[in-house]
Amino acid sequence: MNTSFLLFALLNPLFALLAAPLYMALIRKVKAYAQGRKGPKLFQVYYDLKKLMKKEAVYSPTSSWVMRFTPYLNLSTLLVCSLFVPLVFVPEPAGGLGNIIVFLYLLALERFFTALGGLDAGSTFGGMGSSRSMSLAAVIEPTMVISFAALAFVLKSLNLHKMFALTAGTVLPISPTLVLVSISLFIILIVETGRLPVDNPATHLELTMINEAMILEQTGKNLALLELTHALKQFLLMGILINTILPIGLSTEIDAGKIAVSTFLFLLKAGLLAVIIGLFESAIAKMRLFRLPAFYVMAFFFSAVTILIEVFA
Amino acid sequence: MIDPLFLEGIIKILFVFVLISAGLIISTRNLSSVLTAYTIQSFLLASVSFLLYMIDGKGQLLLLAGLTLASKVILIPYFISRIEEKIRIGRDLHFTYLEPTPSLLLSIGLIILSYTFLSKVFEGLPLSKLFFFGAVIGLSLTLMGMLVVFSRKKVVTKALGYLSMENGVLMFGLFVTELPFIIEVLIIIDLIILVMLTTILAVGMDSSIEEYRQKFRKLQVWTGVESR
Repeated sequence: MNTSFLLFALLNPLFALLAAPLYMALIRKVKAYAQGRKGPKLFQVYYDLKKLMKKEAVYSPTSSWVMRFTPYLNLSTLLVCSLFVPLVFVPEPAGGLGNIIVFLYLLALERFFTALGGLDAGSTFGGMGSSRSMSLAAVIEPTMVISFAALAFVLKSLNLHKMFALTAGTVLPISPTLVLVSISLFIILIVETGRLPVDNPATHLELTMINEAMILEQTGKNLALLELTHALKQFLLMGILINTILPIGLSTEIDAGKIAVSTFLFLLKAGLLAVIIGLFESAIAKMRLFRLPAFYVMAFFFSAVTILIEVFA
Repeated sequence: MIDPLFLEGIIKILFVFVLISAGLIISTRNLSSVLTAYTIQSFLLASVSFLLYMIDGKGQLLLLAGLTLASKVILIPYFISRIEEKIRIGRDLHFTYLEPTPSLLLSIGLIILSYTFLSKVFEGLPLSKLFFFGAVIGLSLTLMGMLVVFSRKKVVTKALGYLSMENGVLMFGLFVTELPFIIEVLIIIDLIILVMLTTILAVGMDSSIEEYRQKFRKLQVWTGVESR
């Protein structure tokens, strides 16, 4: 393991952890503006997390170790995931880190434990959320695999570090098919983070809840950790999308100046993407649960077409 | 002079967007969104034609781009949006044989089919990769348009499917055979007549002849003035 990788392993998760909640807040802010409200302050999310961290966790008497364990496991899983996705600086690939298949399985692990945590407290809402989440996961999983396969096919590698090393420094996407893949990735980003039209993160209504229902029983510190996990997941998926489609400024060497520029550009691009997500959410309505597969199939269609085009052209 | 390789790169990106618009036409339920997707698709074709003119320098391609722009980006969408206003139906929720999800999956199959078919036909012909790619997308666009005609129930959407089929033919014509310009003009005239007929049909399809006359008079489709 070389110095560049060591530096990356320290800084990348830290950067992701610090910046992730900001973009949750930004999306909320954009949605608020779109609805003619002012919305909470940008740093409100940090204050909320701080407040929750100080609070005591309360457990249902029927709950088991799963509920206590889930928040820590989820956050650590996502922190490991953040080693897989270089955000502002691509190190030399090392030790098998960056493998897209492992990345997908880590996300699945997080999803699985969130569902278990939802079931564990024994409340009706938790069970309902878990069952919805798992049935949707069964549909989105093949789409995710195909989309990431298309990404791997276009960029000729299964390693995210190698992929980004390839795209780094280009202004336009290096292949027209990346435009198609990015649409699939956008849909996956929306689905995985439980945003509209799949799930409405802003409500606590029985009809709309999927992700919210699963963490409804979590309190205090645990809730804060789960919120942070959610933000981190969104940020990492945003990172993959950004570094694939608009990798301008992404640095491949350790140089303070370059990394600073790259960080600044990344924050800017993530801000732009957050605005797009916010506007997208404001423009569409929540879909009926049984119509969601049609939304996923769009992602599937674009990824399959990507692979086909890569074979043709 | 702009580098032809750069232009070819842009044409390839436009191909991707053409496919995206075809996917949207197949799966969208909102009538005005389908129309927007069609308009964008036609605009993309006009741009492809213009870029090919920049590479080749054939005047016919420029004329074709102009004709596509005038008829399919401005005139036909204008007519259809008027129909949509008149019939007061916002969404096409009923599908006859196929729901959007299976039709999207089927269209993946159609793309593979046109690829294998065309690769057999063009075997040994001196066709560059870009042109072959264009031909494949043109043919699959035609088939996908046919899928829309089959699967949709409302006349307006069926007409849009037919129009997108014609876009596929145009694309195929651009890249493989060189259609004489006069034929392209004839096709466009056909399309405009089709859209006019659709207007008449869409407004009165569900009524008897007497009711239809009344309805037609009341709506004043072609003059645009609402009667008392």
